[in-house]
Amino acid sequence: MPKSTSKYYWWCQISGWGFLALVMVLDASTFDQNITSRRMGLMVVSIFSGIFVTHLFRIFIRRTGWLMLPVEKALPKFMMGILATSLLIGLMRMGLDTAFNLSSPSRQKMDFLTRLLYNTMNDGLLIVPWTLIYYVYHYIENSRKQQLDTLKLEALVKELELKTIKAHINPHFIFNALNSIRALIDENPVRARTAITELSNILRSSMQAEKLETVTFEKELNIVKDYLALEHIRFEDRLQVEYDIDEDTLDQPIPPMMLQTLVENAIKHGISHQVNGGKVKIVSDFKDEFHELVILNTGGLNGNGNGGRNVDGFGLASTKNRLQILFGQKANFDIREVNGNTVQATVLIPVDLTK
Amino acid sequence: MIRAIIIDDERLARNELKKLLLDFPEIEVIAEAANATEGVEKIDSLNPDLIFLDIQMPGKTGFDMLSELERAPNVIFTTAYDEYALKAFEVNALDYLLKPVEPKRLADALQKLQIEEDKEPLSDHTISVNRSILNEHDQVFVKDGERCWFVKLSDIRLFESVGNYAKVYFGPNKPLILKSLNALEERLDEKVFFRANRKHIVNLRLIEKIEPYFNGGLLLEMKGGEKIEVSRRQTVKFKEMMSL
Repeated sequence: MPKSTSKYYWWCQISGWGFLALVMVLDASTFDQNITSRRMGLMVVSIFSGIFVTHLFRIFIRRTGWLMLPVEKALPKFMMGILATSLLIGLMRMGLDTAFNLSSPSRQKMDFLTRLLYNTMNDGLLIVPWTLIYYVYHYIENSRKQQLDTLKLEALVKELELKTIKAHINPHFIFNALNSIRALIDENPVRARTAITELSNILRSSMQAEKLETVTFEKELNIVKDYLALEHIRFEDRLQVEYDIDEDTLDQPIPPMMLQTLVENAIKHGISHQVNGGKVKIVSDFKDEFHELVILNTGGLNGNGNGGRNVDGFGLASTKNRLQILFGQKANFDIREVNGNTVQATVLIPVDLTK
Repeated sequence: MIRAIIIDDERLARNELKKLLLDFPEIEVIAEAANATEGVEKIDSLNPDLIFLDIQMPGKTGFDMLSELERAPNVIFTTAYDEYALKAFEVNALDYLLKPVEPKRLADALQKLQIEEDKEPLSDHTISVNRSILNEHDQVFVKDGERCWFVKLSDIRLFESVGNYAKVYFGPNKPLILKSLNALEERLDEKVFFRANRKHIVNLRLIEKIEPYFNGGLLLEMKGGEKIEVSRRQTVKFKEMMSL
């Protein structure tokens, strides 16, 4: 419990019981006219025992965690608690009154049980509003906190959604491509025209990607070819591309934009950091009962050489997740460094033999 | 005439910018560089008034390149989409263009530069003074972790030695740069920057108060509130410099 809350609690306790005592004094002065030392004593005793007993009750409530319970379960517990606390305060008042000789003569004549009952009823009546205030305050506080948590959670979900959408295509790529195309318009108008078609294809497929669960590998490969053609305009001799595709794998289903994202990463984290450029190679083949997709690029992982790729990043986990949701636990994704200066990303998708 | 160098790893992007700059006869593109290393070489040998600098380049980024320079020229950043890198910038003295560059934005950026130039004739001082000494109008590029600043030397009130590093005080900031105080002292104009003691170099124009200190030394209070003790030996020199 934070310090400020506990300070707040003590303020409420002291002002609440203090106010009650003040009312008692005023009440006495209006009706009785004389404030005897006995009355002052009674006041002090009632404030003291009130604070003491309710504080004990609070400790108990917090230890048992009653505040966390749903209302219907908390209600009977609080009833019992109020009863017990009332009894306690009754007993305490009786003891203190006797010890300091504060009881009125009429009350001294009563037998023990009647006196206890009287005291319990009298002071116990104050425990009910105390508990009510305590409970309502925490109830409101909790629901407010819950609301805040819900809002935070919603914001987080939105952010993640946005991240996934953004992950489909990198704005850096789009604007760089547009810039290259503008330069090409004078230099090589024919190439500029095809470049616009390539860019349109990529943008279109990235918009459709959210609607589809899977696309054929062939369709995805065409997008990737367009993408790499555009990047080739940008990087010129610094980017070499090689394909090694088994034609039978072209009908295999793969998640849309997955290969695209992997190739984009190969460029972004691999080639673009190499002063002398490098090579991207895409291999698609059958291996045992799997369709194996391999993307190789010049570069290193995790700061090994220039432009390390972060293996633990959002990409790895989400790609693996996405694959396993679509194709079951056997599907896999893995990225590693081979031969010192090449990064190899491998996707394994179990082949559906029923098709 | 403003002599400019374009630094960008993409040939087409450099061409495009050169083409856009044809509309501005006052800008002369004297060289191009395809990466940071080439950039540093060309800046050192040609001493341009202005550089157009791409932020994301292979090897080193534009920011890395700038922090390698002794004296930062006027810089206009060019980038495709880099809100994060640009956010890292606290400051003033720079402008940036988003690729593809809008001709109007380029005109604005160049005009801003011209106004700056008129205020203090930047291009003149480079010829007149000894090049190895930094003029107080010179700006340096300071990079501390994620944050970067362009700082005019005249805005720096204090250099403090921290091991192999020097802490640079300007405004509310005090980033570290990897330079020794001795190396700095050699490069700074001694009429403006004064070695107060083993650990501090102060900017004489940014002293708020001077008080006598025990042992015949002095205590300087800088504009930012830092109190710097002047050693006994340097006090003699200080008094000599400050008296008519």
